[in-house]
Amino acid sequence: MFILGFHFPAEKGNNIPDSEVVEKLDNSGVDFSDVNEIKMVSEAHGVKEELSYTNKDTFMFKALVHYAKTASTDYMIYTNRYQISELSKRMDSDDETMALCKKFDSMALFRIEAA
Amino acid sequence: MAELRQIAFYGKGGIGKSTTSQNTLASMAHYFDKNIMIVGCDPKADSTRLILHEKAQSTILQLAAEMGTVEDLELEDAMKPGAGMFAPDAPGGWINCTESGGPEPGVGCAGRGVITAINFLEEEGAYEEDGLDFVSYDVLGDVVCGGFAMPIREGKAQEIYIVMSGEMMAMYAANNISKGILKYANTGGVRLAGLVCNARMTDREYDLAWALARELGTQMIHFVPRNNIVQHAELRRMTVVEYSPQSDQALEYKELARKIIENDMKIIPTPLEMDDLEDLLMEFGLEEEADEDNVGKAAEA
Repeated sequence: MFILGFHFPAEKGNNIPDSEVVEKLDNSGVDFSDVNEIKMVSEAHGVKEELSYTNKDTFMFKALVHYAKTASTDYMIYTNRYQISELSKRMDSDDETMALCKKFDSMALFRIEAA
Repeated sequence: MAELRQIAFYGKGGIGKSTTSQNTLASMAHYFDKNIMIVGCDPKADSTRLILHEKAQSTILQLAAEMGTVEDLELEDAMKPGAGMFAPDAPGGWINCTESGGPEPGVGCAGRGVITAINFLEEEGAYEEDGLDFVSYDVLGDVVCGGFAMPIREGKAQEIYIVMSGEMMAMYAANNISKGILKYANTGGVRLAGLVCNARMTDREYDLAWALARELGTQMIHFVPRNNIVQHAELRRMTVVEYSPQSDQALEYKELARKIIENDMKIIPTPLEMDDLEDLLMEFGLEEEADEDNVGKAAEA
């Protein structure tokens, strides 16, 4: 079973607790403290939109920093993006994050950069 | 030496199985150095064209017919090494290609070609090739025909990946294939290893694919977005991995390849009853609940 690219052993089944995903992020060795902003560009039907996300107290921020620092390119894998949104909707609640989740749920393509 | 893994890609006709499987297998070979044999189990013999840069490979049934009998056929006639980066002497993993073929439309059993091909390859030692890591079967249909269930029935394919999308018939087919896996799970050891959503980019497609995966007891291992570069590559009879290895789409297939290589989630599926499947489709807006009072009534003028 794979969530955010992390492998969870088969014996854990297909319903992994959110806390175990957070644990994987925390144990990934990524320093989350030196990033203050996540910049993204979404693209759909040729229309580009620049986005900035700064809410450091959320699961969303942690997941995005991890992605930006560990992925080999700035392209966001769709599966990971949908999973970040799915988990964030359960663990975060602020308006800024929920608005980003809504954008993530679309078919648009996203690029990401940690600043 | 690592144990040989035999995987299969099943799914509804036209869902993009051959494209998805060839791009994924190409990624496994190119990025992860895996050596692979493809056994195309589709009468239209399009499971290897992107690896070979050819229109369609001569099939085992065609070649056997030309020779007079399959006993006269040699392995090197039926199995071709991949072209370009998939050739045996190119860096990275290699891919060997075979196609079972099938009868003329409307004549005979298409599954017979699959059976003949697998028996031939086994007898000729194709599965014992040095360094072979994966055998991959690309299988047409939704297992309504027992012939197409051959790789499952005979215990050849052990890990099944179902290519589906957020469209109704693809979901039906995925559920039917799961029923086929369930039927042979105890006798042959076949397991469902995950759903691959080859996206049609319909509303809530990720959520729908995941909902079906959960019901079946499996995972939606990867969501492959639609991208025109796949068609551009196919026009040159190439996988995206070879056509544009640094492209966004190549990264998607690379990630799917990594997950398949690392995947240990192989389960006996729990297929849905038709009513439950229809409830799921209704929940995601793919089907509307019929007003029982209107069932069977013609449209009003």
